[in-house]
Amino acid sequence: MTTMIGFDDVRLGFGGVEVLDGVGFGVGEGEFVSVLGPSGCGKSTLLNIAAGFLRPDSGEATVAGEPVTGPDHRRGVVFQQYAIFPWLTVEKNIGFGLTLRANRRSREERRAQVARYVELMGLQGFEKSLPKTLSGGMRQRVALARAYATEPQVLLMDEPFAALDAQTREYLQELLVETTQTERRTTMLITHSVEEAIFLSHRVVVLGNRPTRVREVVDVPVPFPRTPESRLQPEFLAVRRHLEDLMRSESTTSARS
Amino acid sequence: MTRPLRRTPLRWTLPLLGVVLAVVAWWLVSLVMTGAKQVPSPAATLHAAVVGFTEHDLLLDLRLSVLRVLIGVAIGCAVAVPVGFVLAWYRPLRLMFEPLVSFFRALPPIALIPLVIVYLGIGEQARLSVLSYAAFFAAVVVIYESVAAVDDIYVRAGRAMGASGLELFARIVVPYTVPQVFVAVRVALGIAWATLVAAELTVAQRGLGTYIQDAANFSRKPDLFAGIVLIGLSAVVMDRVLVAVMRVSVRWQDRVAR
Ligand SMILES: Nc1ncnc2c1ncn2[C@@H]1O[C@H](COP(=O)(O)OP(=O)(O)OP(=O)(O)O)[C@@H](O)[C@H]1O
Ligand SMILES: [Mg+2]
Repeated sequence: MTTMIGFDDVRLGFGGVEVLDGVGFGVGEGEFVSVLGPSGCGKSTLLNIAAGFLRPDSGEATVAGEPVTGPDHRRGVVFQQYAIFPWLTVEKNIGFGLTLRANRRSREERRAQVARYVELMGLQGFEKSLPKTLSGGMRQRVALARAYATEPQVLLMDEPFAALDAQTREYLQELLVETTQTERRTTMLITHSVEEAIFLSHRVVVLGNRPTRVREVVDVPVPFPRTPESRLQPEFLAVRRHLEDLMRSESTTSARS
Repeated sequence: MTRPLRRTPLRWTLPLLGVVLAVVAWWLVSLVMTGAKQVPSPAATLHAAVVGFTEHDLLLDLRLSVLRVLIGVAIGCAVAVPVGFVLAWYRPLRLMFEPLVSFFRALPPIALIPLVIVYLGIGEQARLSVLSYAAFFAAVVVIYESVAAVDDIYVRAGRAMGASGLELFARIVVPYTVPQVFVAVRVALGIAWATLVAAELTVAQRGLGTYIQDAANFSRKPDLFAGIVLIGLSAVVMDRVLVAVMRVSVRWQDRVAR
C-alpha cells in the first residue's frame, strides 16, 4: 500500500516549548486513520503541518510522496471551527473550490458535483440557504461536502464534530462512514473521542502528552460496511477498552507532571 | 425572549414613546424657563420652522447642508474604500502609512478650517475639502481595521482550496468586509455632519450652521432651536436610510449593527 500521508520524525515547538517531539506514521492510499490524543498535545498542529499551514522545525510531512511546502488544493481540509463562508449559500459554499483558478471546472461539472455532495450529505432542499439559518450539524455537513467536492488526494479533518451534541455527532459519524465507503478517499481525522476514532477508522494513531510522540498504532478489526450495530460488536468493544486504558494512563501521567 | 423584537409592534412604539417623552420633557422645561433665559416650547419651535420654510427659504439652507454632507462623504468614502483595502492588504504599505493615518485622524477636522480659509478661501471648495478630508480619515480606519479583522479561518479555508492571493482578496476578504464598508460610511456621515456645522458657522453665507448662527446673533431662540432640531433630524434620516440599505444588501450577516 502506498503511503499517501506521511510524517517523518516531525518536530515542532512554539516559543521554546516542545510540542511535537519526533512524530512519525503514515496513512495508506484509501485508508481512514484517526489521530487520538489528549487536549493540547498538538493534534491540530500536526494537521496544520500536513495541510501546509505550518512548517515543522525538523522532519517533514509528505503527501503522495511529495514534501508539503504550503497549502494546496489537492489536500482538502475540514476545520475544528465552523469555516464555511457565511456570505455564500450552501451550494455556493460547496462549489467554491471548483470556481478557483487552481481547480476550475465548467459550470455543468460544478453543478453536477455540487448536486452529488448535497445529496451525499443530506442537504437537499437547503441549496439556497445561508449558513446563518443552518444548525451546527448542517454547517459541518456543508464543510464536509465542500472538502469532498474538489476531489482532493487526501482529506484532513480536525475534530469536525467536536462542537456538536452527542446525537448529531453520531448521525454525522454514520453519514461520514457511509461516505468513506462510497468515496474511499485517504483521510486523516483528528479526534479526542475514542468511540469516533474506532467507528470511522481502519487504524487509530494514539499520541501521548507533550512533548508528543506516537504511543501506539492500533488496528481496528471491525468489518466494513460499518453500521450503528458495529458499535456493539465484540471487536469494537475490545479496541475501545484498549484505547480507553491508553488514554486514561495518558491523562494520569499528565496530572502527575 | 424567543420572538425577535423586530417583528413585534414594540419595535415601532418604543422608539416613538422615547421621542414623545423627550418632547414632553422639553415642553416642561420651556414652561419653567422663561424670561431672559427663555426656552421656546416645541410648538413655538415648530412654528418657527414653518415660518422659516415659508418665508425665509430655510429649505435652501437645509438643501445646501445636506448636499454638502452627501458630496463630502461620497468623495471621502470613494477614496477611503480602495485606499483602506490596499493599506490593509499590503502590510508594508500599512506599516508605512499607519502613523500618518493616526496623526491625521486624531487631528480634529475643525482645526483645519482656518488653514483651509487661508489657502482656499471661504467658497464651496473650501467646505467640501474639509468635509471630504473628515469623511476620508474616519472611513479609511474602519475599512482597514475590518480587513485586518477578517477571521483567519476563512482565509485558511480558501488557501486550502487553492485560492491565489488575488482570489483570497476578491472572493473572501471583500465580501466578508462589505458590512464594514457600510459601518465606515455611517461613521463618515456622523463626522461629516459635525464638521459641516462647524464649517458653516465660520465660512458660509447659507446653510443650517449659518442659520443657527444668525438666529443666535439676533437672539431668535425659536429659530435657533428649529435649526438644531433640523440638523439632528437630517443626520438621523441619512443614517436610517443607510441602515435600511445595509439590511437588504448584507442579509447573510447574523446580526446587523444598528
Ligand atoms: N501558534 C501557536 N503559538 C504558540 N503556541 C501554540 C500555537 N499553536 C498551538 N500552540 C500550543 O501547542 C500545543 C498544541 O496545540 P494544538 O492546537 O495542536 O493542540 P490540540 O491537540 O489540537 O488540542 P485540542 O484537542 O484542544 O484541539 C498547545 O499547548 C498550544 O498551546
Ligand atoms: Mg485542536
